[in-house]
Amino acid sequence: MVTDSSARSQAIFRALADPTRRQILGLLRQGPRAVGEIAGNFRTSRPAISKHLRLLKSAGLVIAHQRGTASICELNAQPLKTVNTWLRDYEGFWKDTLRDLKQYVEEDR
Amino acid sequence: MSVMDTITAEVTINAPAERVFAALTDPEKRVKWWGREGRFKATHMESDLRPEGKWLMRGIGVGGTPFTVHGVYRQIQRPRVLVFTWLPSWQENAVETLVRFDLEEKDGITAVRVTHSGLTTETLRKQHSGWPELLTSLRTSMEPREQD
Repeated sequence: MVTDSSARSQAIFRALADPTRRQILGLLRQGPRAVGEIAGNFRTSRPAISKHLRLLKSAGLVIAHQRGTASICELNAQPLKTVNTWLRDYEGFWKDTLRDLKQYVEEDR
Repeated sequence: MSVMDTITAEVTINAPAERVFAALTDPEKRVKWWGREGRFKATHMESDLRPEGKWLMRGIGVGGTPFTVHGVYRQIQRPRVLVFTWLPSWQENAVETLVRFDLEEKDGITAVRVTHSGLTTETLRKQHSGWPELLTSLRTSMEPREQD
């Protein structure tokens, strides 16, 4: 059955659940950006953006490194594999369910 | 709809659509076939089969853990279409998703298609239309790494 208990995947789903964070990911898709640059794209306060970035980093979706005094953020799409795995679990679940339905209906004459 | 957001599965059943529809919605029938021992065995179902009527299914999951999944019927066109919301107990912070069954009968044989959508959250899609596209492109950008 579909199980998804790992803290890691919960962090990913939580990270993706917010529109601002998804917009940040969309922005980073175009290339790495400094934190200030990212914040400049939003009306939200800079501390709020930093908080979103922390969550994205803890989910592994964003990787940050220092360049001089600037913190540069880069997209890491690898953790989205978790989302894929979860969907594949559900694929198996519905396949099994339809097979059981077929067997029942065809035998129940 | 985005690939990332939706799952479909199909089966052809050698029986009229009405029998398939009944197996899906009649609680007595449903518990006879949904799942198997040791995997996801339904033991109890409640079904108020009308638009916005509630349904609930209980059973025993993997490793003997009890589960509950419930929702409301959104669309009922007996015996061709059945749409209901799906809220499982086994996922933490679960969001409500949508399950649709399409039954197409021809010469006494029924093609069944199930579509489970909103899996990366239905509500989000409403808030942010770019969401599926973003996920799809993120996945595309991730795929070359899978060759590693």
